[in-house]
Amino acid sequence: MAMNVEVAKCTKCGKLSYPTHFYCPSCHGTKFEPVPVGGEGRLLTWTRVYALPLDYAQLYVTLGIVELDMGVRATGRLEIAEPKTGARVRTHIGKVREINGKDITGLVFTAV
Amino acid sequence: MRDVAIVGVGSTQFGRAQWSLLKMMCEASNDAIVDAGIGERKIDAVYVANMGASRNNRMAGLSSGLVDRMNLYPHTVSETIENGPASGASAIKHGVHSVASGYCDLVLVCGGERMQEVNNFEATEFVSYLSHRYAEYPYGVTLPSLAGMFTRLYMERYGVEARHLAMVAIKNHLNGAKNKKAHLRIPITMEGILTGPDALNNNPWIAEPLRFFDCCPVSDGSSAVLLAPAEMVKEFKKTPVLIAGMGQATDSQAVQDRPDPTELTAVRMAAERAFAMAKLTPKDIDVAELHDAFTILEIVESEECGFFKKGEGHKALERGETQIGGKLPINPSGGLKSRGHPVGNTGVSQIVELVLQLRGEAGDYQVPKQPKHGFAVNFGGFGNNVVATVLKRGV
Ligand SMILES: [Zn+2]
Repeated sequence: MAMNVEVAKCTKCGKLSYPTHFYCPSCHGTKFEPVPVGGEGRLLTWTRVYALPLDYAQLYVTLGIVELDMGVRATGRLEIAEPKTGARVRTHIGKVREINGKDITGLVFTAV
Repeated sequence: MRDVAIVGVGSTQFGRAQWSLLKMMCEASNDAIVDAGIGERKIDAVYVANMGASRNNRMAGLSSGLVDRMNLYPHTVSETIENGPASGASAIKHGVHSVASGYCDLVLVCGGERMQEVNNFEATEFVSYLSHRYAEYPYGVTLPSLAGMFTRLYMERYGVEARHLAMVAIKNHLNGAKNKKAHLRIPITMEGILTGPDALNNNPWIAEPLRFFDCCPVSDGSSAVLLAPAEMVKEFKKTPVLIAGMGQATDSQAVQDRPDPTELTAVRMAAERAFAMAKLTPKDIDVAELHDAFTILEIVESEECGFFKKGEGHKALERGETQIGGKLPINPSGGLKSRGHPVGNTGVSQIVELVLQLRGEAGDYQVPKQPKHGFAVNFGGFGNNVVATVLKRGV
């Protein structure tokens, strides 16, 4: 599941998409180059979720949607004790879940 | 195209079923058949709505099973429709198309879901398959977590407060307590769930800012409707209800991908399409069943469907306009919140409830002044697949 940390950059018009779509939402192109998701952004909204699916040992996880400065939004794990909407956050890649004993890596956001 | 009417409805008790999935579906279907009084007339097609049977009940091709148990073979056309939590209304839509086109005359649509086979973690996991495979699911995103993030943004932008969310739950539990088939027939109070000293014990966090009583229960249940061409309604014994309009729309799968994540564009578009087909407007509607899987959704759907302006839904709720005696009663049956949410069946059960209201057969939770037009929203994923329906008493 490595694709979940890459943005698709349209080779025709340059539009960034995350998550990826088969066609570019701007120009309908079908060729993309991967760009790593990274840098800083602004926390749009968040939740501490206690109703977890399978394979979780924790009581809750904190999730958020971030508006990245690079121009896309992304959902990810927050490692921030007291998140506030509008706060500046920094992107990391880390373990976000275990499924059937396998580590899943993805986006983790910390406070700037 | 022919006009299509509902000539019979049926439903099981919601909650924890004593019966197997197919037995529940047979009971609901038989109720609809008896209600319509079909006599010797043959059912031409069976559309089944279900979301989880392959995973939760280890059953697939459910419509074949129902046709077998109901002795409707070999002449019957049948199929199962899986469209997430919007499966119910989707199956009705397929039934309507099949009657409207002249392909079939008498059509049975039956929704059924039995969730008690799985524990809460498994149920949450199975429903989370609706989320985006790469951008949401790997993070443990569940429907409650999408609803929590949506609610926080909505509260900050439009001044919705925790007490407004609680008002939806209190109203729908009060309504559902009067509905003998509802899952949770327990009245709740503002003190008990929000302002009193035991509120956090009674009503713990699920996905902040949403708490336990902001979320619908996981239910077993089955509902059924019988459809026939409007020109045939005199052959059945009950007051017919016309399917005046149906609309559907599909939004981006990931919530983050929407230009404004507080907008439920598919709800708005589905409602507009249903009203356009019915040649009616939101002002004509006398009673609505909205998809309140989370309390915030009843408020926001009431705005997106055009009953109230954006950001005004919680104010109308506060004024009591959406109570059973109010200007536009919403979820008089108790909604998903209290009636229950047998996922794939919910869309069928909403239509059954509206038919009872339009016929004046809803008993203790009957909306006053003989409602003529009803409206339903069946909401799949977190708003990525939505079906809206407009019903009208008489043909
Ligand atoms: Zn492009």
